[in-house]
Amino acid sequence: MTQEAEHVINVEKLTKRYGDLLAVNDISFTVRKGEVFALLGPNGAGKTTIVEIIETIRKPTSGKVSLLDMDVTKKKHKIVLRIGVLPQGFSSFDRITVRETIQYYSRLFCCRNTDIDGLIELANLKDKSKEQFKNLSGGLKQRLGIAIALVNNPDVVFLDEPTTGLDPRARREVWEVLLGLKKKGKTVFLTTHYMEEAELLADTVAIISKGSIVAMGSPGELIERNANYLVLTLQSVDEKVFEIVQKAGFEPARTNHNNIKVRVEHQDNVRKILNAIKDAGASFLSLDVRKPNLEEVFLKITGAALREDLTEEVTQ
Amino acid sequence: MSPRVIGANLIVSIKSFYREKTAVFFRIAFPVLLILVFGTIFMNQDNVRFEFYVQDLDQTNSSAELVKTLELNEKFKITKVDPAIDAVQYAKKNKLNLVVVIPKDYESSLIQRMKRKDLEASVTITYVYDPSSTSVDAKLQILKSVFAEINQRMSGKPPFITTAETSILNRKYRFIDFFVPGVIAMTVMTSSLFGAVNVNAELRQKGVIKKLSTTPITHTEWILSNVLYQFILSVIATITILLVSYGVFNVSLQLNVWLPVFVVLDVFAFVGIGMILTRVAKEAESAAAAANAIMFPMMFLSGTFFPVEMMPGFLQTFSRILPLYYVNEGLRASMIFMDNMVALRCTVIIGIFAAIAFVIGMMTTKWEEG
Repeated sequence: MTQEAEHVINVEKLTKRYGDLLAVNDISFTVRKGEVFALLGPNGAGKTTIVEIIETIRKPTSGKVSLLDMDVTKKKHKIVLRIGVLPQGFSSFDRITVRETIQYYSRLFCCRNTDIDGLIELANLKDKSKEQFKNLSGGLKQRLGIAIALVNNPDVVFLDEPTTGLDPRARREVWEVLLGLKKKGKTVFLTTHYMEEAELLADTVAIISKGSIVAMGSPGELIERNANYLVLTLQSVDEKVFEIVQKAGFEPARTNHNNIKVRVEHQDNVRKILNAIKDAGASFLSLDVRKPNLEEVFLKITGAALREDLTEEVTQ
Repeated sequence: MSPRVIGANLIVSIKSFYREKTAVFFRIAFPVLLILVFGTIFMNQDNVRFEFYVQDLDQTNSSAELVKTLELNEKFKITKVDPAIDAVQYAKKNKLNLVVVIPKDYESSLIQRMKRKDLEASVTITYVYDPSSTSVDAKLQILKSVFAEINQRMSGKPPFITTAETSILNRKYRFIDFFVPGVIAMTVMTSSLFGAVNVNAELRQKGVIKKLSTTPITHTEWILSNVLYQFILSVIATITILLVSYGVFNVSLQLNVWLPVFVVLDVFAFVGIGMILTRVAKEAESAAAAANAIMFPMMFLSGTFFPVEMMPGFLQTFSRILPLYYVNEGLRASMIFMDNMVALRCTVIIGIFAAIAFVIGMMTTKWEEG
């Protein structure tokens, strides 16, 4: 039992094939009790396959996966009592209200003492408790899904892409609920392709690409370890600035709105670029120098963007 | 097997049902409407009255007597036409399909025949009719037999051949009595088939099934909840259909233990088929289309709306491989003909079918993903 106190989830050499397709390739990791663990990767990287194997929905091709010291392929009935799951693209019975849906799932778990009002409060659904599922917005549906994942007071909560497809405001509202969960000390297993989400919520991030884990650590560690450079952004530049920076021996990248992004090794280089622009008589509106974020770290490690819609913006 | 879990599913299913008005319409109101519409159409045919016109040119006591005799026949509804007008023009103008014209010499010829025993004396009654009318033939046939009977009686000799009627049914049974068991069988079928398809395909597509597979509910509990829900719906629909049939049409049907037996087997058979369809057709829409493809032939060819005997031979053979045929036959055997042997035979056939369909359905419906 001491191991359970430390490692709630243990994944060893997990591989999953769908016919010829290798979806998960020999991965190993552990999740500690009380931490928020984020599996970060682009669509199709294998995140959902991994999380569904741990949730006992799918069977691994090979490898050993245990949850709370129970083999996920053998102890399904015991495991489901101790986990809470928000599946990807959560949906429920159209004409059943928020409160009734929570009640239904709580009955499946036999929790007579489920604090339904508490869950409604936690998910910030008080005003919507009598609303039918089909009338809820995407964000509200996800928050209801999170409340349902908690009806059995689980030891581990799985959230598979909890904010995918939500607008920024709805996403922030879901994050607030998740931060509340984190404050309560729940062990949370999160998959996401949003860097901000992982940076904001996760204690540990595992970056996954094409079925393999390519880096793992706390967000700060990952940035520190992989980002020994700075990012200089010049906003609203003249047409010729791009060439000037290139001639100065750097590799600028165009982003949106006439902005240019340059990766520089240290601060002296920033001065060098600015002087070159000044000497050439070109101009720009403003500049920004900062450490790279997880998104850029991810790019550096995998050479591919997390989300296709970001590719253009971030490619360097 | 937990009653609490099954109860929770039933609550959700029943709430979803009554909150969806179209579902309530198709499961309950639609069969009731069918009964009302078809029952009304065919009730009129059971005691249909033939309407025609009579023009009495003779205007004597004897001709009035003849008209009265015709009026005595319950099947006729007679309207008198003024003798002064031209019958052909009148029929054309008013689009009448039959005017019976009694000639001017009716009474004189009758006296000639009856009093003077003159066998040569006769009268000719003229039919002014529209040969393109579909109902006029029946009227002419009945008139012919009525006049034949009058002629026979006037001859004063007793008829040689008389007839007596012995019904093969214990009571007189009407079309509506035949129709109601068919509607019950059909309603239970559609409700179970579409219920199973919706639950399994739609909820799977939406990911609800995936969510459920991470809770303690078992596959068996889920399927059993659905069968139970379909059974409750079927009982409600059956009771409603019977109440309307008794209340509005005063049907004479036997209600006995066979009715619930056939309803249960009907539910199991078509929930089973629904589960198999869901497996074969992965998308919710194609599963619903497949369900339609099964439902319509079943509805029209298995004797729901009209007796199978009315169809050509090869279609009759085809009917006998349709499971709904045996539900129809069995229900009618028990509710109309009170034939326990036929009911038992149908129970065995549909029972075996239901068991096979349901077991295959359960085996092919999986919760776990690959």
